[in-house]
Amino acid sequence: MMDRARATGFGVSAAGHVVLLVILSVALARAAIPPPPSDAIEVSFVDRIGLTSAAPDPSPVPPEQGQAPDLGPIEDAAPTAAPEPAPTPPAARQADVAPSPERARRQPAQAQPSPSRDRPERQRQGSEGSGERTRRSLLGPDLLRGIGRDPSPSRDNRRQAATMSAEAMADIAAAIARQVQPCADRQVIPGPGAERIRTAINLRLNRDGSLAAPPRVTGQTGIDAENRRYAARVADLAIATFVGCAPLRGLPQELYDVPRGWSNFTMNYSLPG
Amino acid sequence: MRTRLITLIVAAGALLGGAVAIGQDRPQPPAPTVQSPPPGGQQAAPPGADPGQLVVDVTGGRRAPMPIAIPYMPTPSPTGTAAGNTALLGQQVADIIANNLRNSGLFSPVGPRGLPGVSFPQVTAPDFAAFAGTGAQALVQGFVQANGNGTLTVGCYLYDVASRSELARQGFVVQPAQWRRAAHKCSDVIYTRLTGEGPYFDTRIVYVSETGPTRHRIKRLAIMDQDGANHRFLTNGQSTVLTPRFAPNQQTIAFMSYESNRPRVYIYDVGSGRTRPLVAEPHMTFAPRFSPDGRWVIFSMAVNGNTDIYRVPVSGGRPQRLTTSPGIDDGGSYSPDGSRIVFESDRGGSQQLYVMNADGSNQRRISFGSGRYGTPAWSPRGDLIAFTRISGSFRIGVMAPDGGSERILSNGPLDEGPTWAPNGRVIMFSRGNGQIWSVDITGMAMRRVPTPLGASDPSWSPLRD
Repeated sequence: MMDRARATGFGVSAAGHVVLLVILSVALARAAIPPPPSDAIEVSFVDRIGLTSAAPDPSPVPPEQGQAPDLGPIEDAAPTAAPEPAPTPPAARQADVAPSPERARRQPAQAQPSPSRDRPERQRQGSEGSGERTRRSLLGPDLLRGIGRDPSPSRDNRRQAATMSAEAMADIAAAIARQVQPCADRQVIPGPGAERIRTAINLRLNRDGSLAAPPRVTGQTGIDAENRRYAARVADLAIATFVGCAPLRGLPQELYDVPRGWSNFTMNYSLPG
Repeated sequence: MRTRLITLIVAAGALLGGAVAIGQDRPQPPAPTVQSPPPGGQQAAPPGADPGQLVVDVTGGRRAPMPIAIPYMPTPSPTGTAAGNTALLGQQVADIIANNLRNSGLFSPVGPRGLPGVSFPQVTAPDFAAFAGTGAQALVQGFVQANGNGTLTVGCYLYDVASRSELARQGFVVQPAQWRRAAHKCSDVIYTRLTGEGPYFDTRIVYVSETGPTRHRIKRLAIMDQDGANHRFLTNGQSTVLTPRFAPNQQTIAFMSYESNRPRVYIYDVGSGRTRPLVAEPHMTFAPRFSPDGRWVIFSMAVNGNTDIYRVPVSGGRPQRLTTSPGIDDGGSYSPDGSRIVFESDRGGSQQLYVMNADGSNQRRISFGSGRYGTPAWSPRGDLIAFTRISGSFRIGVMAPDGGSERILSNGPLDEGPTWAPNGRVIMFSRGNGQIWSVDITGMAMRRVPTPLGASDPSWSPLRD
């Protein structure tokens, strides 16, 4: 028969287990369930990085703001349609329109063209202009040069750092390789040893991704006595690889003609070993 | 009979230039240009890349026959000739080209049957869109035209479908009886341009035709085009013949005959049909082969129980002994530059391959695998030696001239006697069941060469003039 002390101990032990079970259950319910592992994502292994800056001669500040080379003379603004005049006493209107003697003296001097410019002097009449004075436009042909939120104090005309970073270069190279890969895979290996030949072709593209010039073979490496007979054929395959999948699609327009842009690039083609 | 083929690399284009209007007004993609790679071609990688340029690396390709479209060839005006109507000849030429390319194992021809028709003006201005759906990467077009002087002109044009550019063009003027050779020449132009290999379709095979029961086998010399056409017998079968070999000039064949029960080497003149013994010695002679310059014949001669390799001028004379070892030295074959000879010998106890200089000096063994090696044949390219390996079964293999890089190409069980195509890419050999087979040196494209009767001992001719 169980004595009192053992019964008490047993009861305490059972109660303790129950409490422990409750605590652990609550803790488990509160514990954050780790998210399931994500699906595999595609990554590109980049074996070429931009060791030099994308800008050939970078400047730390924005370039000089553009300004018209010549500040033109003050001219009348373009004539505007005169509002229907309200009926006013003739005497009062006459007094308003008549130039003051001081303005009349200053006007011919300002309208005088510079002697170096052969510009016909415009006859100013009261009915041609609005009567307001203005300068010629300050907007030159390089309107957007050096535009920024704040005026640039710089006098430097070098191009600000271009946007073809090493990452962008790798992305574009990968995008091009992806697009021409199906055509590369269609090429037939001409014979033993041809896989050692590496052919470089120069490609010049239009903005729409089409060829702007015929592909041009710029060099081949890996040619030896065994595979020399296949060199011309591998050059054919390199060209057929690109031409077969041209035009390219979806390349970023802003990186078309920047330094190292895709307007003019090199494709190295080789057969699988 | 010697055929005169006039090659018109540009003339065919000029011929068409007046008659064919090329669609100049149609927008064309820029034609690719290929510059000759710099000599040596071993400059630092990446080749030709401007360091300031974007560089894209692409690797891709497959080992598979190349799809190539070969439509029937039109004629400017159907004309009856000694070989048939030019319209029909245009179809047959396309069939021959497709058959040749298919047999090479490197191409999978599309057509000619089922392809869109090609008009004469389209020969030089292809409708690429019509062939885009065939999956073909290359397009062969051409024409057959009867000339006023009784000859035929076969024009042959090769285009790249993807770049829509012309890869090759050539024209051939032939006598009507030689029209098949024009088809073979066209096939060679295509094959050479697209594979980089040398030509081999315009060639012939001389072999031993066999018929009758085993104990009374009739063996005759026979000759045919490499595709089996124009077959004819050179000997009447009264004497058993073996091991025919073409001379480089293709007008002479050396072979062994048991005529008058005296086995010896004879020289056969293809033009006159006359035969004469190679040497006057009374001993048994066999296994002849010509030197690459055609001036010498090497052969084996058994003298007092010892068989050695000798050489003698093609015109005959006193043989010069090249080997002296006891045992059987046999099956000599010159390297393409004529400086060395590979042969088989059992001087070491078993039949193995040896190489020596053309004067017999510097003899050394090159085969060391298990089993025996025999019937060596040096590739016209010089890079490989084909042989029969006897190890359980008889199989055809190739190895480098120093004995390395051995590869077995056929499975036997009774394959022997390899002979090389003049481009060194294809090997033909005998099978024990009385058939001739050919195989690409990659081991692909194993196929039977059609012969009207049983066949053995093939010998591939050089490329015809």
